Amino acid sequence: MRKILLVEDNDMNRDMLSRRLVRRGYEVAVALDGQEGLDQARQTKPDLVLMDMSLPVKDGWVATAELKADPVTRPIPVIGLSAHAMAGDRDRAMESGCDDYDTKPIELDRLLGKIEALLGKTAE
Amino acid sequence: MTETAQETLSVNEVATLRHELRTPVNQIVGYCEMLLEDAQSPQDGRKRESLSEALAAVRDAISLIERALPADVATLDADRIVSLYESLHRPQSRIIDAMSGLLREEPPDEKFIADVCRVRNAAERLLPTDRPRAEPTTAFSAPAAVQVAPAGAPGARVRRTAHVLVVDDVEENRGVLQRRLEREGHTVVCASSGPEALHLVAAASFDIVLLDVMMPHMDGYETLDQLKASAATRDLPVIMISALDDIASIARCIERGAEDYLPKPFDPVLLRARISACLEKKDLREREKEYLRDVVRIVAAAVAVEHGGYTTGSLADVSERGDELGTLARVFDSMVAGIRQRERRLRGQIEKLREEIAGVSDVPLTDFDAPEALRPGDAFASRYRIERPIGSGGMGMVYLAEDKELGERVAIKTLKAELLSADETAMDRFRNEIRLARHISHRNIVRTHDFGNADGVFFVTMEFVEGTTLRAVLDSRGQLGPEATLAIARQLADALECAHGEGIIHRDIKPQNLLVDAAGTLKVMDFGVARLTERTSALTQAGMVVGTPTYMAPEQLLAESVDARSDLYSVGVVLYECLTGRPPFEAKSPISLIAKVLNEDAKPPDVLKPDVPHAVSAMIMQLLAKDATQRPQSASALREMLATIV
Repeated sequence: MRKILLVEDNDMNRDMLSRRLVRRGYEVAVALDGQEGLDQARQTKPDLVLMDMSLPVKDGWVATAELKADPVTRPIPVIGLSAHAMAGDRDRAMESGCDDYDTKPIELDRLLGKIEALLGKTAE
Repeated sequence: MTETAQETLSVNEVATLRHELRTPVNQIVGYCEMLLEDAQSPQDGRKRESLSEALAAVRDAISLIERALPADVATLDADRIVSLYESLHRPQSRIIDAMSGLLREEPPDEKFIADVCRVRNAAERLLPTDRPRAEPTTAFSAPAAVQVAPAGAPGARVRRTAHVLVVDDVEENRGVLQRRLEREGHTVVCASSGPEALHLVAAASFDIVLLDVMMPHMDGYETLDQLKASAATRDLPVIMISALDDIASIARCIERGAEDYLPKPFDPVLLRARISACLEKKDLREREKEYLRDVVRIVAAAVAVEHGGYTTGSLADVSERGDELGTLARVFDSMVAGIRQRERRLRGQIEKLREEIAGVSDVPLTDFDAPEALRPGDAFASRYRIERPIGSGGMGMVYLAEDKELGERVAIKTLKAELLSADETAMDRFRNEIRLARHISHRNIVRTHDFGNADGVFFVTMEFVEGTTLRAVLDSRGQLGPEATLAIARQLADALECAHGEGIIHRDIKPQNLLVDAAGTLKVMDFGVARLTERTSALTQAGMVVGTPTYMAPEQLLAESVDARSDLYSVGVVLYECLTGRPPFEAKSPISLIAKVLNEDAKPPDVLKPDVPHAVSAMIMQLLAKDATQRPQSASALREMLATIV
């Protein structure tokens, strides 16, 4: 079973998305802020990280950049998520090291497509 | 932040607003789709219908949000936000109605109900449901992070939201209050007891506390007492909420420091109004406290200036205030900076003077022939012991002596007998002048101690200054540079400002009467003594040894009215000589010298010495004006002129 680490500070977003992913057959671990996300990624080596960009303690851009700077966690694909969805946000997320980016409200099929594409790559 | 009218949103504010709106939308979509996945059995037709309706409504909301807040927008008129809120009301109502219908109609399934409630809560956060739609000018709640008022509307303002602590032992009550407050845009933390509330308040900052009165173990009164007893939480506003609505309990709470009181079951409109009023009062108090803190800082800065510990610019943040206090801080800081600059300039000039006088000393007096001369070791006036002579002049001898009564060294000036005429009026005038001079205490004036007569010898005792006369300096060096001359000018102006203020005119300002110590401090001596030389006409006495025509003002030479401006003329001569190495007028005889002083114009110092700054030269020429009305009219005016010379 593929394991996804969901880093999301909003309780309802976390509850909803984690449940939807579990329904799709993924194992989901959660973290509540950027630093916790980094720590968990280093410890549990998930197959993919879904990283909300607006996070307390350490935001998603910084956390992703640190994750990609660490040789241990660099191979883990990261999908950035944002509700701001302003022009340039995608580029900013990709510059910080995200492998892909999606906006809220989440269209689940679109997000699943991105997850599968990245997991397929890593499986290769 | 309080009442700030806001007409446009910046790109960051738009981004925040998009985030605040898209977050509940995301939740509504996610939960509804998930619930719809579960509602696949034939009897779930009603569920599917309601959830589909909610999904359709939320997609309408997404379209409205994207149209009103496009991702590439730079700034946005508040009008558009108002329109957006108006337009979101419809899809929001559709979602809430759909979820309320499900809650009413569906059999109780804990998980299903929880998710439906989540959808409804998310919809409520999308936009408050109870804002008055018919009154577009009334401020209403937007999502917590961004509060927008209609542009240009009268009384338009950003509504204050707060971090609220709700304290109630009954979970349902806490839940009701929390939901209500969150819908108003507030953030809420709940505590189920007094001790928990005190713990939370100690750990985090809240804007307001809603406190139930009747709670087990520690009731609302005791909790309130503890909050008000602590300096850290004393100013935290507390609104009491209780089913007890009798006057006595209301009074008891108010007496203990509660800000307000709300009876249960509470009226949401009243709750909103009282919280709003409470927050406004809190903001006002905080502004007052901030104002007073800034007042204290300005006072502390003034004290620091007095003790030399003020750093210019340290009131920069107070200076940014837009009120009178900000103006005061700006002016204060700028004044201190100006004073510091002048002090630096003066220190530089004094340093130059020190350099120029280094190594210069008066020629020691070792022999003198005056029959009345005192010898080292002589006792004098039964109080002094003569150490050595330190000067001689037209008026008499000057000795260094020990005051045996006080154990101090003093200077004793003996006065020639012929100067002290039998004219008792002149003697009275002289005594009066010395009496006045004794009152002067200034760092640039040699202190006059006493006037007396010992065995027929009249004398004046003065502070002894270890230094050299400006005469000796000029004789040794020939002339001084502009910086050293300005140091002399400034100290002379200070000394004369003080003496003239006491009603004393020196009448004999000349390099022989100006002492400079090793630190570069100038001291004027012989205040009052020059009265001795006054006669009916200095012109007729010009041949005498007393008086110094070189430094005397024309009106003094003509025995006309002498005032402070006569001393300023003498200052002009001294400064002229400092810069050029010679006085403005020289002649072989006193009579021809006086004629020149009265009739000729001196050459400006910068003509004789091109390195003299023109401003300094012009100031000296003004001091040398033959007509006293054309000179600076006071020593203060001279000091102000000097302050403008960089």
